[in-house]
Order: sequence, then structure tokens, then C-alpha cells
Amino acid sequence: MSTPLTARLIEEYASASQALPSSGAAADRRNAAIEVLRAQGLPTSRDENWKYANLRVLERLRFAPAAGAATATRVSVSAADMPPALPDFARYVYVDGVLSATLSAPAATGAATVTPLASTPAVAGAATPALKADERFAAVNAAFATDGTAIRVTAGTGAATPAGIELVFVASADAQAGASYPRVAVRLEAGARLTLIERHLSAGSDNSFVNSAVTADLARGATLQHYRLQDLAGRAIMFDTLSATLGADASYHLHGISTGAQAARSTLTVRLAGERANLAMAMAALGDRAQVNDMFALVEHLAPGARTTQTFRGISAGRARVAFNGKIVVARNAAGTDSQQSLRGLLAGAEAEIDVRPQLEIYTDDVRCSHGATVGKLDDNMLFYLLSRGLDRDTAQRLLKWAFLAEVVTKISVPALRREIEAHLPGALKDATLQELL
Amino acid sequence: MTAMLSIRNLVVRIDGKEILKGLDLEVGTGEVHAIMGPNGSGKSTLAHVLAGRPGYEITSGTVSYQGRDLFALAPEERARAGVFLGFQYPVEIPGVNNVYLLKAALNAARKEHGLAEVDAFEFLTLVRDKMKLMRIEDSFLSRAVNQGFSGGEKKRNEILQMLVLEPKLAILDETDSGLDIDALKVVAAGVNSLRSPERACVLVTHYQRLLEYVVPDFVHVLVDGRIAKSGDRTLALELEKRGYDWVSGAAA
Ligand SMILES: Nc1ncnc2c1ncn2[C@@H]1O[C@H](COP(=O)(O)OP(=O)(O)O)[C@@H](O)[C@H]1O
Ligand SMILES: [Mg+2]
Repeated sequence: MSTPLTARLIEEYASASQALPSSGAAADRRNAAIEVLRAQGLPTSRDENWKYANLRVLERLRFAPAAGAATATRVSVSAADMPPALPDFARYVYVDGVLSATLSAPAATGAATVTPLASTPAVAGAATPALKADERFAAVNAAFATDGTAIRVTAGTGAATPAGIELVFVASADAQAGASYPRVAVRLEAGARLTLIERHLSAGSDNSFVNSAVTADLARGATLQHYRLQDLAGRAIMFDTLSATLGADASYHLHGISTGAQAARSTLTVRLAGERANLAMAMAALGDRAQVNDMFALVEHLAPGARTTQTFRGISAGRARVAFNGKIVVARNAAGTDSQQSLRGLLAGAEAEIDVRPQLEIYTDDVRCSHGATVGKLDDNMLFYLLSRGLDRDTAQRLLKWAFLAEVVTKISVPALRREIEAHLPGALKDATLQELL
Repeated sequence: MTAMLSIRNLVVRIDGKEILKGLDLEVGTGEVHAIMGPNGSGKSTLAHVLAGRPGYEITSGTVSYQGRDLFALAPEERARAGVFLGFQYPVEIPGVNNVYLLKAALNAARKEHGLAEVDAFEFLTLVRDKMKLMRIEDSFLSRAVNQGFSGGEKKRNEILQMLVLEPKLAILDETDSGLDIDALKVVAAGVNSLRSPERACVLVTHYQRLLEYVVPDFVHVLVDGRIAKSGDRTLALELEKRGYDWVSGAAA
């Protein structure tokens, strides 16, 4: 179904495509992606899983990559724009989706190799599943991305600590000048382990369009700790698509903290394809002013004995709209599935909106699926207790918001990252590090 | 000399229903007053109104605290000015660390008095000291406020907070209920350790048991929103013997 927006996208592609790098495989990828979009169009707010997203912002941006635009119009991003370095993590920095060698600090990361996506031969056994209708923004990424990163980890020689890789995606171009297309493919071989930090932040324009596509493929017994921190500037637009596939006994820990952007939409698909695969998803989203932050998470239990725990904590203040739609599908052969969803929203403004929606589709009998979904305000009893101890109202409220997010934040197992987030989140008070001292 | 707390003809409603019906009470500096009374007589209502809890409609009366109009102060201002409420039902706050709260509370009061923030080391020494007195284990330091605490632990935590904050006026709402005899003695020792000529304490209690360990200067019986009878500590003993009906009957 074609809309004027889709038509414009295809037009932009036609005029930009000559300039896009298109060696054999890349050209095939682009053409296939454009065909998907031509046939299906972009999602609209009438689509089942898109009604909370802010899609209108797409009207006022350019799809062609900023990376292809004249470099003179782009600001230079410097080391000062980078978050503090994390010990033991190799850092790769991408400006508007393109690797910046000067800002990156690659390091030997044991069993992990990081290569440009284009030069990576297709991995046998790691076939990418066909895109689902909700993953159409990944097709936009596939059509336009000019760079990309492949991360491949082998089981290595039994290193005690998993390899640590940090990807920093910096958006610097204005949405009207062009888009930024982060593109990552992660492959963990059997038994491999990786801690991956994926950041999205702004430098330069506060009004960038970022459309990222990440795939993660975990072979038998592999473990991935994946931290995603979205802290783009106030007028930025972020669409991201994450697709993960888990083999038998693989374990995927996905932690997401999304605080930035004017309009953010995450589409997460996790396939538990192997027996006893384990997914632990802990997501937090904060909205203030007129921000829209929408997450859709589809988890498919496709094999027996797999387990999902999904935690979402969202806070909506000002006139913001925050939504989390968590759908779990249990296939017929996925006996012994165990899933738990805990989705909670906190309304922190009279005009704020928050929606949390757990959905379950179960095609077998032998399952244990539980879900809880609540939306509420700050607890008056808790607030009064803090006031009665002399804390001022603002501090008390921030402390309670912080406490509300604690379940997500305390799951962060990289200490330096956790400290950084504790210091950054609005509830974090300046001596939150007191706990470290005790 | 001005009284620590002076309550005149206090009338308070909840949801349009009158709970306190013209209550008078005078607490002098250095004094310990016990307020006893049957369930539902308005003891917690009084304690909450003094601490500034929202949801109560004060239809008439005045309360002055150290000569100031208490109702002109927000709850947090009362706390920083030295009013402390020990909750009958202390609130669990998952995600907020006990020690963090203690430190923030202490610093809020210090700031009010123009003092610098407490030194981290001194603070911990102080807290550990008071924890020992209250027989609170070390694990408390890393736990969230009241989360998963037993009833007795919650009450001891209230007293710990009081000991760290050193309020001028402590209002303890049934801090003794649900405690076994050992815990009761610990709580009493905590309260007694703060007793001094510059402070005052209002002990709300249902039983006279606590008053064997914290001997009050005055005992009042609250019945149906009014002080029905006042006396010295022997009144508590008499109540224990004769029951509240004795006073209710006398008040009627
Ligand atoms: N939030 C409330 N809403 C309605 N009635 C209340 C509320 N809180 C207390 N009450 C009523 O006020 C009266 C006094 O309660 P309270 O002050 O808690 O008594 P006490 O502490 O002496 O047991 C009781 O009749 C109780 O039911
Ligand atoms: Mg009571």
C-alpha cells in the first residue's frame, strides 16, 4: 500500500542510489529492501502495532543518508562529545552512521572481531529471517545505509571475562540534510560471550533523524549482554529495529534505557528458536515535554523450554506520551514455555500519557505465562513519608521516580555504566554513589 | 516560657466526617506526654495533622509549635524545624536506600540551620552507633527503606531515624504495638536516650506497657475526638485496670 510518504522515499532512493556504495551484495540488499517498501509502504498509525508512534515527524525529514551529503555542511564531532570511556571496552564511534577512525579506540577484544559489514562474507548457519511487516524501518535502513559493522565472537579460549565492545552512534546532521543509518550485525558462535554497549547520542544538530537496524544471532549456549542507551537531543527522531535470534541454551540480556529524542520508536523482535533459550529484557523509557517514546517488543517462543522475563518501567511527564507494547507468542511446539511480563508506567504530569500493554498468544497448553501491567501516579504515602523526614518535594519526587526505575537500573552489571546512568537519570541525586561507599 | 506544642480547640474532618472535635493539649518543653485511647478515637489523625499529612480538613482551632503557627508550615518545613512523626505504619519504599534517606533527611535539617552537609565518614559512624543501640544489623545499610522489614524492624527503624535527626518534638504513633518485650525495651531505651530539657515527646499508645519503660509526665485519654481525661502516670495504670469504658462513660 503506497502512501505519498512512501512514494517520496522511493524517489529519494532513486536519486541517491547512484551515490550509494553498491558493490554486488550491497546492491542486491538495497534493491530487495526498496521492493519490500514499494510493496508494503511505510507503517501508518492505522497499523495495529504503530498507533502510539509519532509517524508524522517523517513528513519533515530527508531519507537519503547525511553521509552522502556534502561534508562541508556537517559539523565536526570531537572527542569532547564522547561519553567517558569505560574500562575494558573497545570503542567504535560512528558519525551519522559512518565509522570515525579518529574517534574510535579499538582494542584487542579476545575472541571478537569487528569488521565493516560490507566486507563480511555471509556466515553459514546465520541466515537472516525474512523481515516482518513491523520491521519495515529496517528495510529503509537496508536501502540507504552506507556503512555497517559486523561483530563476530567465537567461544575463544575460555577467557574469564566476556569481550566488551561499545558502539557509539553520534547523530550530527540535521534531519532536513539527511539521515543517519547505524547498521550492526552481531553473531555469537556456540558458547561465545559478549557484552555490547550501543549508544545513540547527538552532537551538532539537535534535530537529527536516526534509523538504526541491529541484528543479533546467538548460536547454541552463547550469551549476549546488550545495553542500549538512547539519549539523543531534544528534537531528534529515532526509529530503530532490533531483531535477535537465539539458539538452544543461548541467553540474551537486553537492557534499554531510552530518554532522548522528540519522537522515538523501537521495534524489537526476539525469536527463541532453540530449546531452553533465555531472554531477559529490562527496558526503561522516560518522556517529558512533548516527547513520544514508543516501544513494541515481539517475543516468539518457537522451541520447548525457553524462558522470557520482560520488565518495562516508563515515566511520562509534561505532555509526553510513553508506550510499551509487549507481545509474546508461544508456538505450538514450545511446550514448557515460561514467560513473565512486568510492565509498569508512572504518570508524572496531568497531561502526560502512558500505555503499557501485555499481549499473549498461546498455541500450546503446557506453559507458564504471567503478566502484570499497571499505570499509576507517585504513591502519596511514600511521598508523605519522605516529606515528613524533611526532604523537599522536588527531591522526594525525583527520588521516587528513581526508585521506580531501580528494577531496571540495578540489572546493569557493568559497574561504570551503572554509575554513569545513576548520575544521569533525573532521579539520580548527586551522591547516589553513597552506596558504593558502604 | 513558650510551650513546645499548644493545641487549642482543634476540629478536623476526613471526607466530611468530624474526627477531632475540639481537642486541647499543651505540651511543655522537656515533657513527655502519653496519649491513650480506644481504636478509632482519633490518635493517628492527631499525629498526622501535626505532621502535615494531606487529606485532612482542619475546620477550626490553632496549633502553635515553639510559638510558631504549625499549620503555616509545609510537612517538610515542620520536619526541618524539629517535628518528627514516628509512623504507626512505616511506609516501604522499594528502590530508595535506607542510609540514603537518613543522610538526605539529616542534610535537609542541617541546611535549614545553616550547617554544611554532614561528612560522609562522621555520618556513617553516627549511624552505626545508633544502629547498635537499636540492635539493627549491618545489612540494613544496603537495604531499601522498610522493604521486607518485619513489623518490629520497621518500628526500630523509625526510632533510628529519630535518633539520627534529634527532633525537638517527637510524636510517636503506636511505636510499641506489635513489639515483643525485648524489642519494646530497645525502643524505650531509644526514646529515653533523647529525653532532655530541650525536647518534648508525645507517645501515642494503646497499652500502658510502654509507659513502664518510658515514664510519662502526663497521660491523656482521647475518646471520640476529645481529651476526655488527663492525669499523671497513675492514670495509665488505672485505665489498664478499668478499661476505656470507664473514661468513655465518664465523658458521656
Ligand atoms: N482516610 C480516612 N478516611 C475515612 N475515615 C478515616 C480515615 N482515616 C481515619 N478515618 C476514621 O477516623 C477515625 C479515627 O481514626 P484514627 O485517627 O486512625 O484512630 P486511632 O489512631 O485512634 O485508632 C476512625 O473512625 C477512622 O475510621
Ligand atoms: Mg492509630
